Amino acid sequence: MAEQEHLRITGVHALSALGRGADALLAGVLAGTPAFAPVRRFDTTGRRVTVAATLPDAGPLADELADAVDAACRAAGLDRTHRAGAALFLAVHGGPEVPALAANLARRCGLVDAHRVYTTACVSASTAVADAATLIARGDLDRVVVAAGYLVEPDQYALFDAGRAFAPDGAVRPFSTGRQGLLLGDGVAAVVLESASATAGRGASPLATVRGWGRAGDAYHPCQPDPQGRGLARAVGAALRRAGLPAEALGYVNANATGTPYSDAAEAAALRRVFGDRAGRIPVSSTKSVHGHALEASGLLELVVTVLALRHGKLPVNAGFLGPDETCPLDVITDAPRPAATGHALTLNAAFGGANTALLVGVP
Amino acid sequence: MTPPTVLAEARWPEPGDGPPPPLPGFVHSAFHPLVAAVADRCLTRRYGARPRPAGNRTAIVLVSASGDRASAEHVRATVAAGGRVGPLFFFQSVPNSIAGHVAARWGLDGPVVCLSPTGEPRADAVAEAELLLYDGDADEALLVLIEQAPDGTPGEATAVLLGGGRRP
Repeated sequence: MAEQEHLRITGVHALSALGRGADALLAGVLAGTPAFAPVRRFDTTGRRVTVAATLPDAGPLADELADAVDAACRAAGLDRTHRAGAALFLAVHGGPEVPALAANLARRCGLVDAHRVYTTACVSASTAVADAATLIARGDLDRVVVAAGYLVEPDQYALFDAGRAFAPDGAVRPFSTGRQGLLLGDGVAAVVLESASATAGRGASPLATVRGWGRAGDAYHPCQPDPQGRGLARAVGAALRRAGLPAEALGYVNANATGTPYSDAAEAAALRRVFGDRAGRIPVSSTKSVHGHALEASGLLELVVTVLALRHGKLPVNAGFLGPDETCPLDVITDAPRPAATGHALTLNAAFGGANTALLVGVP
Repeated sequence: MTPPTVLAEARWPEPGDGPPPPLPGFVHSAFHPLVAAVADRCLTRRYGARPRPAGNRTAIVLVSASGDRASAEHVRATVAAGGRVGPLFFFQSVPNSIAGHVAARWGLDGPVVCLSPTGEPRADAVAEAELLLYDGDADEALLVLIEQAPDGTPGEATAVLLGGGRRP
């Protein structure tokens, strides 16, 4: 397939509890110090768990999204004319206010329109990237800005607490023995995606290439993942096929792993389904252990992490690891960042509804 | 490529319908029963029996401008009053949950995509389905279009099953 000839990442920006901007995000995930702390943004009285990874000076979501889009466009070197030809794909939690949020964001940032708004829970942003890749590869669009945002707020916090999804020990321990659950974290990110011709036409240098992508469903349960990982495995397989790359080309997997016992095991099962015994030799980490789970924005935040890590040549650690778990027989990066052995990596996401995505990125 | 074709279509309500039947595991809101009822009706018209054989790669594209407004408002009011929400609200807090219910019930193992429309909802849903069919991640796509009235009454839903549309 020829899709990989067409899609370039030319600018990125991200906000998380690790700070503002790409440099802060990369430094934070490489340091591997979890950003979880008692929540000060709203009252958590009566909640079972009272920590999250929040950025103290984060503003309203609409403002942070606009700032992220502006910063990513500046990083990509887009002028006003370039922006006016770019479509906005937005990933946020759904609600009556969302159509206006998207339209105002496009207008405020000088983009052509809010082309699509994804409310697909924790695969919203990664689905947006996959769809943008398809439309650029097909020649429908030349330039897309994908933006995504979730800032920890009281309603979702209360819901996750009520669902006993949070880790009572205040730590996210993906793939680890003794893992107890997830914790939420702020995430606002924007990524500029362009065709090869649009990138070359304005003399820009790509940061990375989206080589492959895949989306598939589990058909298993409204909320729980297929314990055999069949849907996620098919998403990974589709990404590899589109990239035209063999499994040995992969040097890293930025995992979805949330620290939830059954879902991390399902993800490990998916990787073994695709890669067999090789799954135990591909370096894997979930940076949710450091920046928390940014829900609808997680796919974009983790794509940015993956691109930055590959470009820097160091793979981030999976914090909170207490020891191996027999249900997750993977090569988890636990103690210190590891050198990147290749220039290709997968970033995986999964969501309620059995929704799964895989994005395969490469760096020059 | 050939454009997708409509394989089946259904609405809820249709003549003679009352409220959609309650859906075990989902509470408080008509949103989820309505999605399940219209999806069942559409898929039954095409396939009769469920589930579909594995590997059917049927996507679900759920389009709703406001989502499950009744549940969201209940959660907001409960939290604002300092209360605790029931755990079932967590499991139905995103539209993926009811899409996943339909997918599991019918064995639909294609992508799950939920959108807030930026234009005419059916056109947005068809565009997303057409993209997934073209791209090859889906062989068919079940579109579900739903809006609840602002007062939380059940509203209407439409389901459309699309096929074809693969690139040559």
